[in-house]
Parts: sequence; structure tokens; C-alpha cells
Amino acid sequence: MGRLFILFLLLGFATTSIHAQEIEVCKSCEVKTIQAAVDMAENGDVIRIKSGTYKEHDITIIDKSLTIIGEGLPVIDAEMEGTAISIRAENFSIEGLKIINVGRSHTNDFAGILVSNSKNFEVKNNRLDQVFFGILLERSSEGIISGNKVTSNAKDQATSGNGVHIWKSEKITVKNNEVIGLRDGIYLEFVNNSEIIDNLCKDNLRYGLHFMFSDNDLYKGNIFENNGAGVAVMYSKFIDMQDNQFRKNWGSASYGLLLKEINDSELKNNIFEDNTIAISADNTNRINYIENDFKNNGYAIRIRGAVYDNIFERNNFLYNSFDVAYTGRLNDNKFNNNYWSGYSGYDLDKDGIGDVPFRPVTLFSYLVNRTPEAIVLLRSMFIDMLDFSEKVSPIFTPADLIDEQPQMKRIQW
Amino acid sequence: MKKIIYLFVLGLFTACSSEPQPIDYGNDNCNFCEMTIVSQAYSAQAVSQKGKQYKYDAIECMVNDQLQHNYDMAVNLVANFEQPGTMIDVNKAGFVINDSIKSPMGGNLAAFKKESPVINDGSEGTFSWEKLKTHFLQTDSLTTSYQ
Repeated sequence: MGRLFILFLLLGFATTSIHAQEIEVCKSCEVKTIQAAVDMAENGDVIRIKSGTYKEHDITIIDKSLTIIGEGLPVIDAEMEGTAISIRAENFSIEGLKIINVGRSHTNDFAGILVSNSKNFEVKNNRLDQVFFGILLERSSEGIISGNKVTSNAKDQATSGNGVHIWKSEKITVKNNEVIGLRDGIYLEFVNNSEIIDNLCKDNLRYGLHFMFSDNDLYKGNIFENNGAGVAVMYSKFIDMQDNQFRKNWGSASYGLLLKEINDSELKNNIFEDNTIAISADNTNRINYIENDFKNNGYAIRIRGAVYDNIFERNNFLYNSFDVAYTGRLNDNKFNNNYWSGYSGYDLDKDGIGDVPFRPVTLFSYLVNRTPEAIVLLRSMFIDMLDFSEKVSPIFTPADLIDEQPQMKRIQW
Repeated sequence: MKKIIYLFVLGLFTACSSEPQPIDYGNDNCNFCEMTIVSQAYSAQAVSQKGKQYKYDAIECMVNDQLQHNYDMAVNLVANFEQPGTMIDVNKAGFVINDSIKSPMGGNLAAFKKESPVINDGSEGTFSWEKLKTHFLQTDSLTTSYQ
């Protein structure tokens, strides 16, 4: 049986070798450097890089459709000089490489892997360590970036780059990657129709995930932990945000999710836990917040100027210091059917909906917004009295900001 | 006790000065777009007449903020693109807008010293501070396109 299997395997190799040449790179091979292998390769060839350390930088691949496979995690050491690999091609893939020591610069965006003006490609299962930018895509489309692990030490570097940086591209899938310790974990600028799925972004200096001027994108199932701020979505529209976890973004200006000038989007089934501010919204219109959990945050939702037509439905607000904070008295947003752990009303008709409406904005949150130092009074009895009197006759807080149907039980979604 | 009073008086004076505080990269947030300031090549800062500090992650943020709010600043500084980490006064700076410059807020804008060859090679897209402001007012910049 075993022999048969080997025979099959050999047959398999034999048939592929008819179509495409295979070039092996190792220290004792005929081809000793990756650049040499690339130079002699033709369209459709496979380059197999055996384990070992290759001190090469600025490896350039232009207009060749290659399959580059690292076996036993070969190391490309760019020795702090420039980009490790740059590619401009269609139909290629890079997998199984370890790239370290990418050069740093204020004016050049050196990267572990730079993909430029390319189409239909795959970058998978690579390890990048001590990089400036990790994987940098520009003017490209239909690419998949999956299973990569990018690490660096941006926290103690004056200059730092982004883990996965995508600029002016479309139809890109970023899946199952880990990005730890860079400036922004995943950064998208002018990127449309793309998907960011199941990634882990941790310990990044600025944001876990950052959208700028990007439309019609989806991010789903990601975990954002202990970043400067979890996710920033700015100047974008039609962004679909689902099943993500925003955790432990602590600090005086730290957010789980920062929304600025974003329209027509949806947040569903996300979990916000242990953030100073879970969501900060500024200039956001027509956004639906449905079935999210806000747990143990300083602020669950802080609404700043110009926020209209947002709908908050069936969310769980659990043990936050402030559930909703407003800067002004105007309200054009709807809160309905949410569960508020701070709700103290009753349900006499036993229909699961509280008989007394709930006002999520307290006077104290208004005071703290104006005078942040007032936070030292949190939990004082005087504040409880103030909040109560404001509840009875709202003067400073938006009078019509009411959840008419507060749920008596935590919503299961 | 006397020492404490001296300290207090000293504190009073420093509180009123319009000396710009250095930007704490990685911790300070932009006054305009709220992004954390990380790039030393594109940052900008200003101090108002009363001594309030304004810090920005990009020069385009400073220009937009000042145009929208009509701030009157005592000091306006921008990062020197050729020597990141150092700041220059806007009146001693020349500005370049070029697609190859990837500034944080999509303005493709960087500042150089006025004497720099980049400013004086006679190519298009170089501005003085005053001209830059009128350019931002005229063009379809971030401010105008999103309001």
C-alpha cells in the first residue's frame, strides 16, 4: 500500500514537471540565492526554497507568474536594508517564508513583502518578524492574504509601519492572520469590496484595524486586543462589522471602536469588553447597532457631534460606568428593545418588557463630558441624587432619548 | 514652604507660555481627526495666543482645522520631511503636494525648508503657507467633500 502511495506521489510530480519547471534553492544547490532563481525562472515555474538563512534584500519579481514555496521555514534576512521581496505580476503565490529585519525609513515604506500593480495572487503562511511594514499592497486586486504572522516591536521604535497595509486596491481577502506589535495591525486606504476575516490584532501602537476612505467592506470574526484603539473607521461608507471582539483597549484616549464620518453601515453581534470607551461616534449617520454586547466598559457609547439616524436595537448593556454619553441635547437616534443592566423598573404585565421607559444618558455623564476631572465623584451619593432628579425632569440631557421598551432579561443572540 | 511657592509661581508662568510642547509620538492624538500621532515626517502643531496646544498627525489636518474654526495661532510648526523629528515654522517652510507623498490623511502633503532644492526646482505643486491655505479652500479637499 505504501509503495503504491509513493508511486502515485512520484507520478504526481512527474506530470507537473512537464508543465512547469521546478527550481530548488539551498546553500548546497546549484542555485544559491533567491534572486538568481527568480531571474532564471519562466512563467508558471515553482521555486522551492529549502531551509536556511538567505541574506538578501530587494528581491524583485516582475511580470513572472511564480509559485514560491518555502520548505522548513527558510529565513530571508534583509539586514535592515530596504524591502525584502517586491513583486509586480499576475497569478503568483508566496508561502512558507520567514522574513526578518526589514529596513526602516521615514520617507520610504519598506516592507517584508511588497505587492504592487498585481492581480490574482496569494500570500500565505509566512512569518514576518522585525519588519517595518509587513505585507504592503498597492494598486492591486483579487488577492488573498492568509495565515501570516507579522510581529515587530513598534512600541519602542520611533518609526513604525503597519502589519498589513493596503492602498488603492480592491477585492482583497485578509484572513486568519496574526498581527502583533506594529503601528496599525491592518490598514486600508482607498480599498473597496474587500473582506477582513478571522484575524487577531494585538498590542499594536495605534489601531488594530484602520479604514480610511474605504467603501463596501466587511470585517468579521476578528479579535482586537490591547491596541492603542481597537478599530478606527474613518471617512468610509457601507462597512459591515460582524462578530468581532473588542477587548482591553484601556487608556485616556483609547477606544474599542472609533467611528468618524462613516455612513450607512451595520454593527451586528460584536462584543465590547473592558474598554475605556467601547464606541466613540462622531459624524456618523444611518448606522444600525444590532445585538451587540457592551460589557464592563467605561463608556459603552459616547456620541459626539453630528450623529443622526442611528438605530440601537436588542443590544446588551452590561455593567458599564456610562451606557450612553451625549455632548448635546439634540437626539435623532433611536434606542429600542435593549437590555440595560442599570434598569431598575418593573414588569407587572410580565411581557418581558419593562413598564417604565429607561433613560440611558445620565446627568453625570454630561458633567464628565464637560469636565473630565469630575470623574472622581463617580459612585458618590450626591451624584446619584443629581442623576435621579435629571431623570425626573431632564434639563441637560436629551429629553427624547428614551428606550421605551427596555428588556427585562439579557438578550440571547 | 518658600520653595513650594516658587514652584507654584514657576508653574503659573509656564502655564501661560506659548512655547510648543514636543509631540509625544504614539500617545498624543490629533486635534482634528483624533488619530494617534505616529509619523514624525508629517506631523504639525500649533499654540494659540492663550497658550493652548494643538497637535496634528498631518499638515492637512492643521490646515483644515484652522480654516474651519478660524483659529488665531501664536505658533504654527510643521514637520520637516527631510529631517523627521524636527519642526519648522510655517513661514520658513515650503509645502509640496505630490501623489508620491503618502501623508496620513490623504493630502499627499509634506513640508520642507524654504531653501531646500525640492521647493526651488520650479516644479508644480509647491506652495507657501498662505498659498497652501487658499489652495485648501479652493480644492475639493477633505473638508469640502465630506460636508
